[in-house]
Amino acid sequence: MATDDHLTRGQDVPPSAHVLIVDDDGQIRQLVAKFLVGNGLRVSMARDGIEMRDVLIREAIDLVVLDLMLPGKDGLEICRDLRKTSTMPVIMLTARGDDMDRVVGLEVGADDYLTKPFNPHELLARIKAVLRRSQASPQSITEPVRRHYGFDGWTVDPSRRELTDPAGVLVDLSGGEFDLLMALVESPNRILSRERLLEVARNRTANSFDRSVDVLMSRLRRKIERDGSETTLIKTVRGAGYLFLPRVERR
Amino acid sequence: MKRWFDTLTSRTILLLLIGIGIVHLASLYAYQLALNQEVTTAGEVRLADRLLAIKRAVMRVPPLEREPVAHELSGGPIEAHWSRSDHAIPGGPGSTEWDGLKRQLRELAPELTEVQIIIGASRGIEKDPHLAMISMQLPDESWINISLFSRLTPQPSHHGTILSTSLMALGVIGLSILVVRWMTQPLRTFADAARQLYRGAEHKPVPEHGPREVRELATAFNDMQARITQLLDDKTQALAAVSHDLRTPLTRLRLKTEEMSDQNVANTIRSDLSEMEEMIDQTLSYLRGDRTDEEARLIDVTAILVTLVDEASDAGHSAILQSTEAAVIHGRPLALRRAFSNVIQNAIKYGKSVSVAVGMDGENAKILIDDEGPGIAADQIDLAFAPFTRLEASRNKETGGFGLGLTIARTIIEGHQGTIQLTNHQSHGLRVRITLPKTGPSASIDVLRRS
Repeated sequence: MATDDHLTRGQDVPPSAHVLIVDDDGQIRQLVAKFLVGNGLRVSMARDGIEMRDVLIREAIDLVVLDLMLPGKDGLEICRDLRKTSTMPVIMLTARGDDMDRVVGLEVGADDYLTKPFNPHELLARIKAVLRRSQASPQSITEPVRRHYGFDGWTVDPSRRELTDPAGVLVDLSGGEFDLLMALVESPNRILSRERLLEVARNRTANSFDRSVDVLMSRLRRKIERDGSETTLIKTVRGAGYLFLPRVERR
Repeated sequence: MKRWFDTLTSRTILLLLIGIGIVHLASLYAYQLALNQEVTTAGEVRLADRLLAIKRAVMRVPPLEREPVAHELSGGPIEAHWSRSDHAIPGGPGSTEWDGLKRQLRELAPELTEVQIIIGASRGIEKDPHLAMISMQLPDESWINISLFSRLTPQPSHHGTILSTSLMALGVIGLSILVVRWMTQPLRTFADAARQLYRGAEHKPVPEHGPREVRELATAFNDMQARITQLLDDKTQALAAVSHDLRTPLTRLRLKTEEMSDQNVANTIRSDLSEMEEMIDQTLSYLRGDRTDEEARLIDVTAILVTLVDEASDAGHSAILQSTEAAVIHGRPLALRRAFSNVIQNAIKYGKSVSVAVGMDGENAKILIDDEGPGIAADQIDLAFAPFTRLEASRNKETGGFGLGLTIARTIIEGHQGTIQLTNHQSHGLRVRITLPKTGPSASIDVLRRS
């Protein structure tokens, strides 16, 4: 795990990545900050929307961790306002496990969300994933936040984390499977190494029972390469990794 | 029998048919009786008139011409003859029927004495086809004998009675249906509204129009509906607030475990925290019931089960899925995921291993979730769905939770118009059988939500 962290940091996330934590609970702020600093990030803190604005003016922030329930303007409003002027990556923290809140959080432009109480390792993993994504595709700055991918009749909605088949039927994917699929549709017709994919999968579910990339890939295939359909969507390149064959269109 | 007369319409029809039928028949009978009386009297008067006319005509002509004249005046059911003797003998069967005629004759011709009119059978030929023989004595002591072949009063026909009764019955049935439809229309609206009260996120007030009684009922119903919704909302809100406030210290605790030196203790605390979190989630989800904002859409049930079974086996449990054939229905993906997850978690918790089978069975998706546990005693099966119930007597004690898993699952499944049943396997273990119709949650609820 330690080498993976080092690897991730070394490859994708600049060591100087600066994260702003916005939460009205002083202890949580301190504890999260301490944990993130301990893992090599730079951290600033704000207790509400007003303090957050001041920090954003003063400092060069790479990512905001934003609590949903805040005094004054709540997280959703702050996020919506922020989105009008900036594409700053945002991870929402929501205490409400209500599925509706999650979806709304993503629709106002949050890049990811976590429900409290969260595993700090998972928060770290998400921060890294979001930062890497925003750095990997800087063109997203001019693109609308919500966008869909289409391949072979299927549709991938990254903000809702949903996959629908050619008949419009929602096909459930696990977090790891979805991240893997995202990596594939973002880089079609390019060989993706196992190592790269492992990293993608690890970032989402930093749980102890992660499966190997091969297992995840076979599970994903089972869901998108149905019995009866002749087409192969994911090709295994022996010794190199995986290749996503269909033409991917962005909508 | 009871089933036939179960609806208000059929009961009203039955009641009205019997009631109005009795009154109708009674009045018909009384009317017919009076009518018969009237017709009989009229017939007797006419007959008496004619008999006397014949008598007078015959009287006026000389004896030699009397017989031809009498014959001349015969016709229809009447055959008159003149003779020196009377042909009729009084009495005989049915002779009382002619009392009326005799009375009329005496009234119209007071000169005839009692002995001068004889009505009865023909003398000597009792088997005469004539109905009656009437003999009237003339002043010169000769007789006019008149045979009656048939009554002059027509027998009233019964076709009219049958027709009017059938018309009445038809009218009653038609009117009953109309009236009952009209009266029960608001009742159906109330029933629909009551059924949907818990389903929709927002409740639809019943329109307050119609007759005063219905308006009053609608107002009372809407008040009650609003109060119940308010009560439920308050309760859910209170719990949401409590659980939010609980989550802040839980988050702090979770973060503090990162700083603990003893990782064994830290892990124990973390698993306790997860359990508390799960309990908060389950309670909130139970309180929410099937009052959900989640939209129903086309989903593949199998894919959800594949994910859940994979997750369970990743967590080190023995979990297998029997088939991967798609089962597409209309449903709420997150809600169904929670329902299936609850049932699968239950199976793992109590039954150690879980085997899931899924497929389409006609218009339904059918899901079987089997475990290898001790099953549930037959008398406890209904209890398993009751909230805050754990059947610990027969099951493992080392299990957390509030006993809401199956309650929530059933609420969600039934919100999709589906069914969930528990049965003990023949050999051992529990089988949970879930069916979900393709159509998913009822359309009216979705319409309600959209409006």
